[in-house]
This record gives sequence, structure tokens and C-alpha cells, in this order.
Amino acid sequence: MNRRYTLIRNVVFVWMTLMILGAFLLNIPRINILEHTARNLYFHVPMWFTMMAAVLVSAWYSARHLKTGSVESDIRALQSARVATLFGVLGLATGILWSRFTWYVGTDVWWNFDPRQTMAAVQLLIYGAYFVLRSSFDEPVRRGRIAAVYNLFAMITVPFLLYILPRQRASLHPGADGNPAFDEITAPVMRLVFYPAVLGFIGLFWVLYTQRVRMAHIKNRLTSNPEL
Amino acid sequence: MPGFPTAMAMWIHGARAVLMKELRMEWRSRHAINLLFMFVLSSLLLVVFALGTGQIEPPLQAALLWIVIVFSAAVGLGRSFLAEEEQGTLLLLQVNVPGSQVLAGKLAFNLVLIMAVMSVTVVAFMGLMGMRIVHAGLLLATLGLGSVGLAGATTLLGALIAKASARGPLLPVLLFPMLSPLFLSVVRATQEALTEGATWSGSATDLTALVGFAGVVNTAAFLLFEYVWTD
Repeated sequence: MNRRYTLIRNVVFVWMTLMILGAFLLNIPRINILEHTARNLYFHVPMWFTMMAAVLVSAWYSARHLKTGSVESDIRALQSARVATLFGVLGLATGILWSRFTWYVGTDVWWNFDPRQTMAAVQLLIYGAYFVLRSSFDEPVRRGRIAAVYNLFAMITVPFLLYILPRQRASLHPGADGNPAFDEITAPVMRLVFYPAVLGFIGLFWVLYTQRVRMAHIKNRLTSNPEL
Repeated sequence: MPGFPTAMAMWIHGARAVLMKELRMEWRSRHAINLLFMFVLSSLLLVVFALGTGQIEPPLQAALLWIVIVFSAAVGLGRSFLAEEEQGTLLLLQVNVPGSQVLAGKLAFNLVLIMAVMSVTVVAFMGLMGMRIVHAGLLLATLGLGSVGLAGATTLLGALIAKASARGPLLPVLLFPMLSPLFLSVVRATQEALTEGATWSGSATDLTALVGFAGVVNTAAFLLFEYVWTD
């Protein structure tokens, strides 16, 4: 089992290295204003996909924890939420930079409440509240269950933003109402890197997440067995 | 085994008993209602001081109205389960009344409180800030739907924080992120109700969003409450 784990982890690392090389070295069509910032596609978008995947994993394990009460599920829900926060912050940062120098070039705007941006910010706030809630419990069993309830309860309100926010302000993202879809505007050479990048980032999530879960296990064992 | 109508009647009976208990307790101390009343008035006073005496536009009025309502809800409504925990009456309630009935009773009580807060806030806004209601029906519907969503969220979160060992002002932190869809819809519908030429159809999407939000939050509250209640 351990050897297979190491193998998959190493494949992810090599894969990510190749992907990053491809992202910076391959020649891409130059579009006015967008220019080389288009390469951010390989990072920004997969980061969001990864965050969504991590959010789903976290919600899944929260539900499992409520059903079975297993400590393992609680650890997994927490660690997945942590890695989701990491990817969310990275996605937000790359998005802010990217939009500042393309969509909002010459306007000095850093944050413009694009629907997707707002949604991501809300999800990050929910995780922030989730971590704060966790830290206000001493007793692990209670902490796990209450945190799982909050995770699920707060998360179900996020999809509403999909319905409400676009009415507030139109999104500038591709595929949003009236904008050309991703397929129509992305050159084939970019897809060659983009799809592997999505896989690679999800793989990276898997590595970070499993390492954190293992770490949490070790910590758990140390605290429950002070002699160790 | 009682049939469905009898079971339903028993369920309503239990929920009503919890609600009556809450109302009676509140009537004796008048703690929550006084707190909320003072909170609304003092925050409103601050808003009026900050903005001066000039005429305030409807969009700003709507935003301020809901900020006052949501903050007072976050301050005043978190106590319902906390009080049981502090007074040691939790066990008694757990033994006598099934979880869903407790939640229903507490939710109804919080709904009453929120509606009281809303009435005070709206009247105070009309008096102190010159808020003019153009479409009363739309405003009432918005306030009504908003209060149901708000009550569902605050009641379940109140039950969560009652279990925490380090309390502090947890409720606002937990409440505000998940309230953002509700907040956006109510503020826009309220804006519509305050501006000239307001129609029902102008806020149809916001009202549907509010109905959906209230439905989902309350359903989820009932589904998840069992896990909080049976400790």
C-alpha cells in the first residue's frame, strides 16, 4: 500500500512539473490585452475546479461523519476543507491579478464583485467560520458533530448565489450569460496543457489532502497515547 | 400506533407547548425583546448621526434597514438554546419533547422576535429617516419571507453555539456568510418596494429566491437538528 501511495505521489509531482514547463514554454497565440496572461488559464481555472472537488469531498465526509460518527470522516472533512481553502485563496489571488491587468486594465479596479468571485469569497468565509467554530470546542466528539452540521448547513446556501448574483452584475467569465464558451475561444495548443493541468491540480489536492490526513492520524495517536 | 392526523396533532401540540413556554419565559423577564429593542434604537441612532439630516436614497435605506435587522438578529436570537444549557433545563426538555418539536417551537419563537424587530425597525426608519413605502404588499412579503429564512438559520446556529465551550460572539461569524443569498435578495426587493413605480413582477426573481432560501434552510435545519439535539 505504501509503495503504491509513493508511486502515485511521484507521478503527480512529475506530471505537475511537466505541466508547468508546458505552461510557460509552449507557444500560444497572442491576443490583444490578454497577451501572455492567457497562461494563467492553466493555473487559475484548475485551482477552482480543485477547490470545488475539495468542497464536495469535505461535504461528503461531513455527511458520513454524521451518519457513522467515525473520527476518520471528521478528520477527512476538516483536512479537505483546509486544502479547499488553500486552493480557494490561490484561485482568488490568481483571479484578482488576472482581472486587474486584463478586464480592468486602466481602471485601477482590483475587486469588482464578479459573480464567481463573490461566490468563492462566500465559500471561503464559510470555511473561515467553520474553522472558528471548531476551535471553540474542547471535546472532540462534540466538535466533530457540530462542525459537520455547520459545514453542511452553510454549504447548502451557496448554490443560491448562482441564481441571485448574475442578476446583480453580469459575469465577465467565459460561458457566463452571453459570453463565448470556453471551447469557442481557447486555442488547441492551450487545451493540450489545460486538461492535464486540471488533472494535475486535482492530483496535487489528493497528495496534500492525504498527507494532511496521515499527519492528523499521527497527531491523534500521539495525543491519545502520551507514552509514545 | 396513532394514525397520521393524530400524530400530526400531537406534533403540533408539542411544538406549541415549547413556543408557549418560550413566550411565557420571555413575558416574565422581557430580556430578549428589551435587548433587541434597545439594539435597534441605538444602532439606528448611530446611523442617523453618521449620515446627518440629508435625504437618504431608497437603495441606501434598504441596505441600512437590513443591516440593522440582520445584526440585531445575530445579537439577540442566539440565546434560545444557550439559556436552556445555562439553566440546566436542557435535559428536561430532551426527555419530554422530541427534537423536531423543540426546534419548531424555538423557531416559531424566534420568528415572533424577528417580526417584532422588523416592525420596530421599519417604523423607526419611517419616522427617523423619512423612509417612504411605495409598495406595502411587496415590502411585507419581503419582510415575511426574509424573517422565515432568518429564523431558520439563526435557530439552528443558536443550537450549535449553545454546545460550544468557548462562546463569545460566535453567531454573527457563523451566520453572515451563509446569509449572503438572503441578504442580497431582501435588499433588492426592499429597494424595489421603496422606489416609485414598484411592481410585484419587478421583484419576482428575488421573491422566488427568498422562498427557495427559506424552504431549503428550514428543511436542512430540521434534518440536521437531530444530530445537534441528541448529544
